[in-house]
Amino acid sequence: MKPKVPVPLAPPERELMRIPGAEPSSRIDSWWGLVLGIIALTILLVVFSPDPYRRIVLFVRDGIAITLTLTVVSFFLVLFVGLLGGLGRISKNKAIRGVTTLYVELVRGIPLLVQLLYWYYAFPSIVHSVGKALDVPALENYRANAVAMAVLGMTFCYGAYMTEIYRAGIQSIPKGQLEAARSLGMSYVQAMRHVILPQAVRVILPPVGNEFISLLKDSSLASVVAVTELTRRGREFMAATYMPIETWTMVGLLYLIMTLFSSRLVAWSERRMQFER
Amino acid sequence: MEPIIQIRDIHKYFSHNVHALRGVSLTVEKGEVVVVIGPSGSGKSTLLRCINRLEEYDRGTIVVDGIPLDTAANINAVRAEVGMVFQQFNLFAHLTALQNVMLAQRVVRKRPPADARRVAMDLLAKVGIPEKADSYPAQISGGQQQRVAIARALAMNPKIMLFDEPTSALDPEMIKEVLDVMLALAQEGMTMVVVSHEMGFARAAARRAIFMDEGSIVEESTPEKLFSTPSHERTKLFLSKVLQ
Repeated sequence: MKPKVPVPLAPPERELMRIPGAEPSSRIDSWWGLVLGIIALTILLVVFSPDPYRRIVLFVRDGIAITLTLTVVSFFLVLFVGLLGGLGRISKNKAIRGVTTLYVELVRGIPLLVQLLYWYYAFPSIVHSVGKALDVPALENYRANAVAMAVLGMTFCYGAYMTEIYRAGIQSIPKGQLEAARSLGMSYVQAMRHVILPQAVRVILPPVGNEFISLLKDSSLASVVAVTELTRRGREFMAATYMPIETWTMVGLLYLIMTLFSSRLVAWSERRMQFER
Repeated sequence: MEPIIQIRDIHKYFSHNVHALRGVSLTVEKGEVVVVIGPSGSGKSTLLRCINRLEEYDRGTIVVDGIPLDTAANINAVRAEVGMVFQQFNLFAHLTALQNVMLAQRVVRKRPPADARRVAMDLLAKVGIPEKADSYPAQISGGQQQRVAIARALAMNPKIMLFDEPTSALDPEMIKEVLDVMLALAQEGMTMVVVSHEMGFARAAARRAIFMDEGSIVEESTPEKLFSTPSHERTKLFLSKVLQ
């Protein structure tokens, strides 16, 4: 797709044109210090006070993996749902626009926790009832997978927020860009793909990054629907040992490492994708 | 001479009460350069934008190069044959000048990258800025951006070029470089419809000048006659304001 012309990401003259104060003074900004500080604190606790901190980390280790899986898988699905929703929200077709608007309005009005409970408890019951009514054994014996339902629930909910981010991003691109593309004979889809979305992505990167971090934190809600992610494992450890201060300090630190690290990655990719307007 | 643009009795309403075009008819022949002037809000840009259907119209017919502007497929076919240059340039902000000129060749004409690149470099040389090929729009001047925009439109090998106030957003010292490119294009025999108040360009390039006001064509003749001895009061009034 890309031309084979050597087009450096930041040719020398581009550096000169950066707004004073906005230029990256180095590859790594000073907030990485905070990430390193939190990591250092965690390591110190584990090394110098292995009982209970090392025990906690070992106990919740698999929970971290599930938290990350849950977040990353949901996030990629959310990016896709958000794109479809965002295009639907600006569609000329009234029916499509109506359905996506309804989706956004309804989903944003219900707490994520309630939605997760619905997907895990109510949804399978509905499937059973339908199975019984239609006499389909496959549906009658349907058993909800906790992780799958959590992914579904988080995608459904965050997809609505992401829809609004995409919509705002697409609408922030001047109308002339679409007109120029269309005047060259590009179809709507071609214009979106080659002209509007590449520019919109740069605009929405910061809010999308924030959504990722919110999703990471909200994945802790999945602990109430039988997903053994980090928070759930923390509760199990506390129940077994009754060490609330140590347990939740360590769990909090582990979440902090992940969220701070993510926010640095977002800031870094934002700088990489800058371009002059 | 054969007609290449046939506009018949076009009506256009904005919302319900604004009658932007009130039955405009216009025929442009192959190789002709037509300049459209008129006060702001007279419908001249709207008319131009109807020719490639960037603006929908409510009544009337437009046939471009034998293709009526009715179905979506026809509209895209017409757009590929009709280049458009905008007041605000509208270069794709995330692409370099070269990539701007290449994109539609690749996506719409399906040209291989090497061919598209060669065409793009030739056109950038033609508009006089081959050295800006790897610059992004925000790094070059308005005049240079507008010349890239002309090259971008020409890359599709259009049969017709539409210019919507191409120099109105430019600093005075950059107007000439854009007009020179347009003049060269006119001398090569390109069919052009130009909304512009550049009298010098109109005199040098156009065979016909049209004065529009309140959604209708008020007067048309040669640029020389229209500018020096207009026959309608409204034309006189407008020109007296523009030329003072």
